[in-house]
Amino acid sequence: MRRSTWVTLAVLAVALVVLALPSQTPAQQKKIVMWTHWDQNPEFNKWYATKGKDFAAKSGFDVEVVTVPYQGYEAKYLAAFMGRSGAPDMFMGMTHHWCGQYDFCDKIPDDLVKTWEANLPKYMVPIGKWKGVRYGMPIEHGNFQMMYLNADLFKKAGLNPDRPPKTFDEWHAAMKKVTVLDAKGEATQVGFGLRHAGHPVGITDKFLPFAHAFGARMLSPELDKATGFANGPAMVEALTFFGNLVLKDKVASLTLGTPEDSFAQKRAASMFRESWFFGWVKKNAPDINFKVAALPCGKACPGAGQLFPWTNLVYKNSPNKQVAWEFFRFISNAKDDLEQHQLQGILPVWTVNQESQYVKSRPDYQAVKDMLAQPVPPNYFHPKSNELATAFGEAVVGFLYGKGQPKALLDEAANKMDRILKD
Amino acid sequence: MRQWLRIALPKSYMDRQRRAGFLFVLPALLFFGSVFLLPLAQSVVHSFYRTVPGGGSRFVGLRLYEKVFTDSIFWAAVHNTLHLLFMSVPTVVVCSLAIALGLNRIASLKWRNVWAAMYFLPFATSLVAAALIWQWIYHPVYGFLNYALSFVGIPPQKWLQSLSQVRPSIAFVNVWVRIGFDTMIFLAALQSIPEEYYEAAGIDGASAFQRLRHITLPLLNPQILMVCILELIFNFKIFDQVYATTQGGPASASQTVIMLLYDTAFKYFRFGDASVMAVFVFITLLVVTLLQWRIFRKPVEY
Amino acid sequence: MANLPETRRVLAGAPGKAAPRSLTLRRAYTRWLIGLAVACGAITVFFPFFWMAVTSLKTPPEIIRVPLQIAPDSWFNLNNYREVFQREPFIRYLFNTALVASIAALSSLVVSSLAGYGFAKFHFPGRDAFFLAIVAILMVPFQSVVVPLYLWVNRFGLLDTYLGIVAPDLVSVFGVFLMRQAIEVIPNDYMDAARIDGCGELGIFFKVVLPSVKPAMATLLIIKFMWNWNEFFWPLVVVNSPSMRVVTIGLMSFTNIYFIEYNLLTAAAVISILPILLIFLTLQRWVVQAVVMSGLKG
Repeated sequence: MRRSTWVTLAVLAVALVVLALPSQTPAQQKKIVMWTHWDQNPEFNKWYATKGKDFAAKSGFDVEVVTVPYQGYEAKYLAAFMGRSGAPDMFMGMTHHWCGQYDFCDKIPDDLVKTWEANLPKYMVPIGKWKGVRYGMPIEHGNFQMMYLNADLFKKAGLNPDRPPKTFDEWHAAMKKVTVLDAKGEATQVGFGLRHAGHPVGITDKFLPFAHAFGARMLSPELDKATGFANGPAMVEALTFFGNLVLKDKVASLTLGTPEDSFAQKRAASMFRESWFFGWVKKNAPDINFKVAALPCGKACPGAGQLFPWTNLVYKNSPNKQVAWEFFRFISNAKDDLEQHQLQGILPVWTVNQESQYVKSRPDYQAVKDMLAQPVPPNYFHPKSNELATAFGEAVVGFLYGKGQPKALLDEAANKMDRILKD
Repeated sequence: MRQWLRIALPKSYMDRQRRAGFLFVLPALLFFGSVFLLPLAQSVVHSFYRTVPGGGSRFVGLRLYEKVFTDSIFWAAVHNTLHLLFMSVPTVVVCSLAIALGLNRIASLKWRNVWAAMYFLPFATSLVAAALIWQWIYHPVYGFLNYALSFVGIPPQKWLQSLSQVRPSIAFVNVWVRIGFDTMIFLAALQSIPEEYYEAAGIDGASAFQRLRHITLPLLNPQILMVCILELIFNFKIFDQVYATTQGGPASASQTVIMLLYDTAFKYFRFGDASVMAVFVFITLLVVTLLQWRIFRKPVEY
Repeated sequence: MANLPETRRVLAGAPGKAAPRSLTLRRAYTRWLIGLAVACGAITVFFPFFWMAVTSLKTPPEIIRVPLQIAPDSWFNLNNYREVFQREPFIRYLFNTALVASIAALSSLVVSSLAGYGFAKFHFPGRDAFFLAIVAILMVPFQSVVVPLYLWVNRFGLLDTYLGIVAPDLVSVFGVFLMRQAIEVIPNDYMDAARIDGCGELGIFFKVVLPSVKPAMATLLIIKFMWNWNEFFWPLVVVNSPSMRVVTIGLMSFTNIYFIEYNLLTAAAVISILPILLIFLTLQRWVVQAVVMSGLKG
């Protein structure tokens, strides 16, 4: 062949080798890798690496944090865990998925289990456990809904924002008072910002406090049956109440965009959101005078319930898992818990930190305490929680959009959920 | 078999020609065979296995096919996808052809490039970013679209949050994204048609429409066919835009087949079912493309 | 339909005659009208980008202000851009994406042209079946092959490398399609003449075929480059280190499970589009030049 061809081929070969080089050669500083998809909390995530420097001084292992975009994270995690060699040593996820549906998690060593169980708020104890074994350490407290209200709008309607409604009847009356209708009977300002768009799992998440307040539950206590629970009389009542907020009472609306946007825009006088939300309000709508209060109670209380309990987990097949546990031992103390969460402006997890200066100065301090005083609601930590919540959420949205009546929609959903559970 | 032997050991000039042709095609074939064929085969195999908690799988034969094909959610997703398809594909093909024809007639090269670049820009944006920006434009309260419509007296619409408007809204975004791509292809092809053909038609006194029908469209037939096939395939597989914005809502009105596939595989952990859906998508697109190829392809001898 | 003698004559290969003057005048008027229509369409299509650019100059409260305000409070508010670069190493992302997209585009060009030539001008057993097999690749939903593909890439140790990112994109189905269409149009005599002259097949490919399809080649380069620039799902799965990330992943870091930071997202989107725009404008000029120089017109 001609010389130029040889030269071209040689250049191509060199290029291929260069491109195939990994970004870091293996003979580098030893490290353990942490994956998280909590990309709205960059300070929180960075802290692991900063603290990891102290850890490296002790153990010789650096800590590297990789933030994965939330969209598509399931595929990335799964591919990595199945591929083993590219997998992280520690990761953040839901215990009942990665340890229940799959077998990717390493059991927490007993001493660490004792440490955590002694320091978790009571309602958080089931979080991170699967079939009685603890795999995960919870990282988020206050991940349950609370009532955010616009103090100015409440005052304008003749309500006292410092004495928020304590029962659902009171709340309903308040919503009616604070809703402003225009000449055509359409709401220009709604009492309640209601979530109706997006993935059905999110819809279920936002509806469950109502369900629990009516004494209903989505699944049986052993999480093995849906019929009789998801479509039981209490649930039908709850869904009817919820849907009527839009359909009959007009205290909520499907035309105002997401609850966050309408609340920030002073078009919704109240909404239910988790503890982290006030940070968003402060940044995006700094002129809103808001208050955080505990959710009202009905027959029962909504309590501190959540569908997305995030935990820190260790990969079962990681060659460095002992080091990973050492790192977790290193940071499992009250001071670090407070420091990490305070950096990001979210609630610390450990009970002892709940009375710290930082937490006492937060606008949601009293609301969180009141919520924790309510009895703990049912949890649905099942490997198929995504699919079950989706099927259930479709019934909720269906009623909101006029696709049927609550009983019929819930019957259909319960049927589907049972099929999913039996599968 | 004998034909393949003659390719490997050519005896005549024609055999050498055949071998040359095959060798030209070989690199592409090898690449696709190794990168896609194997995973595709694995996917098909997976469609006969059911995933069980704990991560294992069990052979179940055709039961998953039965399960998926009797699931109303699956067919609802197919219906949504087809609806989107019927709105997006004809629109984008016709519009891009019209725009390419228009661009081709612009005498000033500078302006042609400027307008062409503008049409092409949507294609240069990541699907997700484009979808999020459109979601913002469609926003019932903050969105520009309702703001603009308010000036002509049209009340604010719900767009992506309305059961009836969500799919047309998404279809419009699809057209917006893909129009530059198709326009470019048509434009490049149009620029290869000799000017004399048109001048000859001009002497004949042919109208613009006749010119279009007898010269342009027949000569553009390969590109039109290619664009139709590609648009159909891409719009059938629509995922990123919908996932980033409506997530299948409201009330599953915008859930497409691929979205359901992703959720089934990665959120519900049911790979067998997801593989069945993948096989369905593949077979459907294959059949439709074959039909298009057979019916509309007119081989022209040059 | 009307008989078109002159048209048929020219289509059959006879040289054309000049057109009468009245026709050219009418053509100029219609041309102007068409130009206007095209311009209006272009501006409509461009509008979301204008909106994006304007939003990138606003602060978060400004964005959700109602009634809507098109102009930002300050046209020189570059805080969002500053924050984008602070939060993420966007320059590195741009470099990575440019590199990966270039490789994919060039590699696609070479392999697709070869394959397109083979499919267009040769007859070998199974030709149509192979072509359909290649097009069939497009029909496979990527989501269903991503995990097996990842496992293979992992086995070859290509995780977190440029080659790993580019691996599924080294050849483009669209490229094969496009080049086949473009090469089909080349009169067979050109190649036969070269064969008679004693040119080898590869020689014919480089000396006769490729020069005749420069517009298609440029089109393929541009489209493939852009397509790769906007790849999201595969780079997400195969890249771990922040230093190897691409622009689309960088963009997604301004969205999360709870909300979207529109001010930063639009700024980042503007940053990621500018390079493409520049490349497109440059290459476009080259496309036109190539058409003029290749003498394909007549």
